[in-house]
Amino acid sequence: MPSAAVHIPVASSSGSFLITPNVGLMVWVLVIFGICWFVLRKSVFPQINAMLDRRAKAISDEIDSAEQLRQESQQVLEEYRQRLAEARTQADEIVTRARQAAEAHQKEAVETARGERERLLEQTRRDVEAETRRAIDEIRREVADLTVLATEKVTRKTLTDADQRRLVEEALADLDFSVLSGGEG
Amino acid sequence: MSAITAPAPTGAPAPNENRDRPGMSRGRKLGLTLGGLWLAGLVFFIAVLGFKSHKAPTVASGVFTPTNEFKLDTWFAVGPVDFNKGVLYVIIAAAITLGVMFYVAGRLRQRPGRMQAAVEMFYGLTSGMARENLDDPMARKYFPLIATLFVFILVTNLIGYIPLPVNSIDKFTLFGAHLPSFQIFAADTNVAFPLILSLLVFVLFSWERFKHNHYNPIAALKSLMPSGLSGPIAPLIFVIEILSYFLRLISLTVRLWANLLAGHMLIAFMGGELGVLVGDPWVQWLLFPFGIAIYLFEAVLIAALQAFIFSVLTAIYLGDAVTTH
Repeated sequence: MPSAAVHIPVASSSGSFLITPNVGLMVWVLVIFGICWFVLRKSVFPQINAMLDRRAKAISDEIDSAEQLRQESQQVLEEYRQRLAEARTQADEIVTRARQAAEAHQKEAVETARGERERLLEQTRRDVEAETRRAIDEIRREVADLTVLATEKVTRKTLTDADQRRLVEEALADLDFSVLSGGEG
Repeated sequence: MSAITAPAPTGAPAPNENRDRPGMSRGRKLGLTLGGLWLAGLVFFIAVLGFKSHKAPTVASGVFTPTNEFKLDTWFAVGPVDFNKGVLYVIIAAAITLGVMFYVAGRLRQRPGRMQAAVEMFYGLTSGMARENLDDPMARKYFPLIATLFVFILVTNLIGYIPLPVNSIDKFTLFGAHLPSFQIFAADTNVAFPLILSLLVFVLFSWERFKHNHYNPIAALKSLMPSGLSGPIAPLIFVIEILSYFLRLISLTVRLWANLLAGHMLIAFMGGELGVLVGDPWVQWLLFPFGIAIYLFEAVLIAALQAFIFSVLTAIYLGDAVTTH
């Protein structure tokens, strides 16, 4: 690439231009800076300011909203805790009541069972007594019949049924059948 | 007496020998490579060309002067209005400033992108400057000036670190065409740029002081004095305060101008110009890394710092103008 420095001999100055203000440049700077200042002041900075204000407001609103949400959630939490406590109390009451009911029911069932058992025992006892009584009567009749029959065979005399019955009854009356009825007479 | 002999070295390193040695990071390798190249280049230039000066004819004859690149060569004129590279840089700075600001302003979103975030950061910074130094009505009134000063000077400074073909005094030839040389130039390396902005600020804060003192020039001058001062020292302090007041104009101007000019000259010198002047290529090679370092320092720090200082001093001076001591 052919390149060579070409120095134009116009610049061998003392360097005083460095500290001498270029008036033309001053005017240019003043005008151009003035335009920038005016344009930015009118068109750009208000937009940025409005944007920052909007954002600040949005952030402020978000903070308020978050605070409100926090309060609401706190309230909901309190309510929840309260309801939870109420539910626990109710549950405890229900359990207590159920336990009491179960105990009462159990007690009642035990009582009923006990009463039924007593009733059945009583019934059984009565049945046994009745059966014993009936068996004794049966035995008596059998003994009376056998006695009549034996008497007839011994005496060859026929007694009337009424006589025979009376005699047997009298005889049997002296007998003790309490053994057969378990000691009860 | 028996001698204890160590086992002879096996020659081949143990398989885990390299594993135990901490490896160099990529940055360190790159740094060492570049450092090696730099040293090798230095040795090469000294070995080949020696310490003998090889000045270019234009340098030897004094035609070439380093400060010439900061001279504003008039390219064309429309009546009394000259157009030169300083004007070009100011126009480019204004175009970039307005372009970026309008681009961002037209695409403002609730969730900002990178550019919007950067512009908002700049807005917040300058807004903070205004609010911290001025009361509310003054802040509303002068915030646009402070913000515009900051962004305009910042952009002017930053484009001053981009090499552009604007050196019409020292041209180079490419395929027979005489083209302006590339150079890094900033509009505020010419004293006119900071001076006019400082004058603007000076006039504004002087006007505010005048207005604040009910348009009474004596009261405005008296307001420069610290409160509770009396006795023979008062006139001396008054003179100092007056001097200090007008020196604000000079300090505002010179701070920006001298920083930028010195920075650009340092970059140019370290980047090779000193080597050209002394005629030793090894000097160019020796100083080149320092040129890069100064370039980065200037572009990253000084450009923004000077814009910040100019705008914050504007806010402070405006605030001081309406403060009763």
